[in-house]
Amino acid sequence: MKNKIYIFVVEDEPEVLDAIVRDLEEFETTFPIEMADSAEEARELIDALINAGNEIGVILCDHVLPGQNGVDLMVEMQNDPKTSRARKVLITGQAGLDETVRAVNEADLQHYIAKPWEKSDLVEPTRKFMTDYVLKWANNPMEYMSVLDGQRIADYIRKGKGITDN
Amino acid sequence: MTKIKTTGLLLGITGFCIPLFFSFSGLSLAGHLAMSIFLMAAVFWMFETIPIYSTSILVIFSQVLLLSTEGIIDYSGIAGYDPLPYTRFIGTLANPIIILFLGGFVLADASVKYDFDKNLTRILLSPFGNRTSTIILGLMAVTAVLSAFMSNTATTAMMITVIIPIIAKIDPGDPARIGIALSVPFAANIGGIATPIGTPPNAVVIAALNQQGLSVAFGSWMIYALPLAIVMLFVAWQVLLRLHPPATEFVSLDLDSKLQKSSHAILLYITFGITVLLWVTEGIHGIKSSIVALLPVVVLTLSSAFSKQDIRKLPWEVLWLIAGGIALGISMEATGLAGWLVGGIAWGNLSSLMVLVVFGAVALIMSNFLSNTVTASLLIPLALTLVTSGALEGVFGMLMVGLVIALSASFAMILPISTPPNAIAESTGVLKTKHMLLSGSIIGIIGLTLVLLLSVFYWPNVI
Repeated sequence: MKNKIYIFVVEDEPEVLDAIVRDLEEFETTFPIEMADSAEEARELIDALINAGNEIGVILCDHVLPGQNGVDLMVEMQNDPKTSRARKVLITGQAGLDETVRAVNEADLQHYIAKPWEKSDLVEPTRKFMTDYVLKWANNPMEYMSVLDGQRIADYIRKGKGITDN
Repeated sequence: MTKIKTTGLLLGITGFCIPLFFSFSGLSLAGHLAMSIFLMAAVFWMFETIPIYSTSILVIFSQVLLLSTEGIIDYSGIAGYDPLPYTRFIGTLANPIIILFLGGFVLADASVKYDFDKNLTRILLSPFGNRTSTIILGLMAVTAVLSAFMSNTATTAMMITVIIPIIAKIDPGDPARIGIALSVPFAANIGGIATPIGTPPNAVVIAALNQQGLSVAFGSWMIYALPLAIVMLFVAWQVLLRLHPPATEFVSLDLDSKLQKSSHAILLYITFGITVLLWVTEGIHGIKSSIVALLPVVVLTLSSAFSKQDIRKLPWEVLWLIAGGIALGISMEATGLAGWLVGGIAWGNLSSLMVLVVFGAVALIMSNFLSNTVTASLLIPLALTLVTSGALEGVFGMLMVGLVIALSASFAMILPISTPPNAIAESTGVLKTKHMLLSGSIIGIIGLTLVLLLSVFYWPNVI
């Protein structure tokens, strides 16, 4: 079984979670989407995925969750070398300025999506960050050309990275 | 390690051992050892047990160890082989053709650095209008021109960045999408045959011919191969138009481009122009193309247009790969192995055309599944030996069979694994393997037929 790069979503309201996963459907055949409804569950699932040799490419996380909040979870992930590579996106309507600043400074937050969102608000950043991720970490980014930003991946090959004539 | 790689490892070691435990009559000790190296390299290259460039390095290392005067075997009391100094084997890394490629790599990488390839593409594409079928021809022509001087892979990758926005504007059900996605890798494969530096198999063949004392000038190669490249480009275009007739008649191209105007970029344009001009006019001024190849290396590095970081990023492994191929040929010839191998077949019964048919067909089939360079490396030592066995006639025969092998290897494009350009095109998700299989097979068969026709009607008149 080949190890996968996952998209991880943390959201406590089932309808909202459904909506996010539905919007991200187009990535699912290549990048499985895993979900959790609390930070605690997320941590458990992420640990299990990573221990099985998988990677987390992007985590999209709500802020207000039962128990530990989303920003705390992302700061924790950032400080753990096993999960620090994941690109972090906050999807929320309720994070205050202080928390958002903390997410940017301490969790290397890449993007902030305010609720409610349009589908493209979710898909485009996800495509961009997954492309960033595979260009930086994947052995063969070419495999992901059809679902991600093909132009950027082709340009990466053009610049002599990845493959050459043989 | 996958099952295939493990199988390759075991087979490779077995292959290496066979000549050590069995004695073949008529073959010297050195010939046996050269066969060990040949079998190991062939298996490792085929199964990609280790990276193909790594197999090349292993070949050179084994030769130094087992076949050189400085190696572990003292050949002084053993008949049948006059050992070569180890510098012959490691010297393949500075073979003139390697230096020629180095010059080509520096030009190509500098072009990428200053976006010359991208901007030139947009300029060259503009006369092709906006009719879908002529745009496909334009894409193919530009791809072929660039891939004659740059790597086929880098050219394809760059052109893919150009065609993705075009394809995105075309209706998903329109077959033109598939035609466009195939046109680029096919044109890159075809364009590679046009010049000695177009693609590595050309290098392996030219180096092997050089070893036989036959030098092939840059311009001469173009006279032999360029007409074929042009014809095949039209053939491929027509095949793609017929198999995937565009439903939309017009597509719009977004061709905004500005050539960079920095002094480094301008120096690159001038150096590129002068180098190519000197290459194609080798026949007039007589300066060897590998000497000319030093010009871009010198000019671009002394001006810092090409920096230390850029030098580090050159595709060095491709040079290792070619060097290993050249070295393999040297040991097969010097130890008498190549002669012994082809001596087993009654080539005398075959006409020289049949010999070319056999080598062309084998090269085409092999390189659909193997690296083109590996195919050329494995076949060329055998083919050139046929001249000594009398199946081919002298210098002329050597050149013909060399061309047939190099060109046929480049026409292998039926699968994504056939060449890196095909792999990139397949990865876009626009086309399926079956599309590549059908059009690639047609182009391969027409290509091989044309190569053989040239060997009968054209090359005899220009060589």
